[in-house]
Amino acid sequence: MFFHIVLERNMQLHPRHFGRNLRENLVSKLMKDVEGTCSGRHGFVVAITGIENVGKGLIRDGTGFVTFPVKYQCVVFRPFKGEVLEAVVTMVNKMGFFAEAGPVQIFVSNHLIPDDMEFQSGDMPNYTTSDGSVKIQKDSEVRLKIIGTRVDATEIFCIGTIKDDFLGVINDPTTA
Amino acid sequence: MSIEPFNRLVKLAARAFYDDVTTKGDNQPKTGRGDNRGIAVVVLDALTRRQWVREEDLAKELKLHSKQLRRTLRLFEEEKLVTRDHRRETAKGAKIYSAAVAATVDVQHGGKEGEEKIKLHTHSYCCLDYAQIYDVVRYRLHRMKKKLKDELEDKNTVQEYVCPNCGKRYNALDALRLVSLEDEYFHCERCNGELVAESDKLVAQDVGDGDDNARRRRREKLKDMLQKMEVQLKPLMEQLSRVKDLPVPEFGSLQAWEARASAAGRAINGDSGSNDLSRSSQGYGGTPMPFLGETKLLGPAWQVEVAFSGLDGKEEDAKSESAGTSLKVLPPWMIKQGMNLTKEQRGEVKQESKTDGTSAQPDFSDDKKSTIGTDDKKNLQDEYLKAYYAALYKKQQELEEAAKKQEELSDIPLSSSHSDPSKRQVGMKVKRDDDEGDDDIDWEEAPLAGNTTESYKVNDLNVEAEASGDDEDDVDWEEG
Ligand SMILES: [Zn+2]
Repeated sequence: MFFHIVLERNMQLHPRHFGRNLRENLVSKLMKDVEGTCSGRHGFVVAITGIENVGKGLIRDGTGFVTFPVKYQCVVFRPFKGEVLEAVVTMVNKMGFFAEAGPVQIFVSNHLIPDDMEFQSGDMPNYTTSDGSVKIQKDSEVRLKIIGTRVDATEIFCIGTIKDDFLGVINDPTTA
Repeated sequence: MSIEPFNRLVKLAARAFYDDVTTKGDNQPKTGRGDNRGIAVVVLDALTRRQWVREEDLAKELKLHSKQLRRTLRLFEEEKLVTRDHRRETAKGAKIYSAAVAATVDVQHGGKEGEEKIKLHTHSYCCLDYAQIYDVVRYRLHRMKKKLKDELEDKNTVQEYVCPNCGKRYNALDALRLVSLEDEYFHCERCNGELVAESDKLVAQDVGDGDDNARRRRREKLKDMLQKMEVQLKPLMEQLSRVKDLPVPEFGSLQAWEARASAAGRAINGDSGSNDLSRSSQGYGGTPMPFLGETKLLGPAWQVEVAFSGLDGKEEDAKSESAGTSLKVLPPWMIKQGMNLTKEQRGEVKQESKTDGTSAQPDFSDDKKSTIGTDDKKNLQDEYLKAYYAALYKKQQELEEAAKKQEELSDIPLSSSHSDPSKRQVGMKVKRDDDEGDDDIDWEEAPLAGNTTESYKVNDLNVEAEASGDDEDDVDWEEG
């Protein structure tokens, strides 16, 4: 799920960035530091949309670096158990398949793939129904439901299922 | 179209899901004496025999404490089985309801009118919500099944993997760390052994440690539960599918229901409702009043079909009874909408007037009723009347020949056998042909032969015997 929230971060800025462009330098450094990172609490930071305010800088003894407390608005993406997502398959093996929904990696184990889909090995391993009408392979787009998440301080990993109503392949790259 | 299948659904659901329910105040200790299991079922059953009912009255009738009843009803409200309505009302306001009740339900609320109170009291009313009950029960069954099946199929469970070499356990959330680039299996981080999925191991049953046994037992228990559920709830599921395509009984809000009920009540009281009662008890081939369980409905009484009397009364009695039963299943909430009768119902009324004309005692009341029933259709009938006469005259001439042949076969006077074939051609319901034919005999005979007392009565009572005869034909045309 996506959220638009306000986060705060203490930014250390090298003295060479001081000057009339200080604020721009601060913001671009913030984007570089924060966008694409993941915090277990808030999820993945997708984009910074604005700066709320920049607090008073504090000069560090000895180094000359200055620390600015910056409040910024950003869009975060945080997967939840039970959430239904659309994802792109990145890898298929005998144990199941891996897929990505933006920054989130999801593993669907083979017992959560419908029973009528069987694993076919080869240079393009895939799961296929007996009549061949549905095929899951690399780059297939699937709709899946998250049934578990592992949230570390800097990483979120999910496991999902496509063994439920309205889940499964939504776009087959070979027919598209 | 009936309320009965829905009531059966409610009763089945009550026994399936609420048999064991106890509703207790939080402060009451759980003693054997306070055990009120089964009350929920009693209350639901009672509600199937009522429409909107004031909760105090229901409590009195069920000999329950009103607090206890309220607790039960609150539960049903939460479970979406009943709709409730609370309003502050004076004694006068209560009377509106009482009047409505008196119109629909044969329950005496003696003395209520006598007590004039100016104080406002909050009264609660409740009523089964059949449409919602249908949905709720279906949803409940669906959830029960889904939950068991999901657990059985290990849906939504995190797959576990075991290393057969060192016994280290992993689960699907570790998958990212376990993938190997060399083959398509997961590998142990410690010894690089090929991991085995836990469920596969379970099926293979190679290692019988206690954990696995517990899991297997659990699966068997789940399977057992699922099977039991299928068996035990089968009647309920069957009832659901039976009810699926039936129109759902709808009582509307309390206000709407009251308005409708009292309107219908006035209509009945204005007419000779008592006459209807006595007549139906006399058993003039007419059906008994439609009953809604214990509660008797006066509403549709005047529409009840009465015997087609006449020469062969027995056969017709039987027929009208069957017709009556089909009438009886007409849901009372529809009939109560008053005088807006459907074509078919209107037909019934007119047949009544016709046949009662020929039958004996209750002629007057029936006649009166029939005019009430048909007044607004008079113009239409006149149109039909003209058209019918033209057609009939033509047909009768055409069929003169055929009639003569039939004359030899029957004792029935000539003119009656005229109309018999002509009737058939006019196009009535096929299944009614025989009976209608017989009815015609009465009618056609009356002016010509005049050999029964009934037919004389017709002439006396219905100012235009001919016209009422046309009413009847009219009906046939509409039906045909
Ligand atoms: Zn190992």
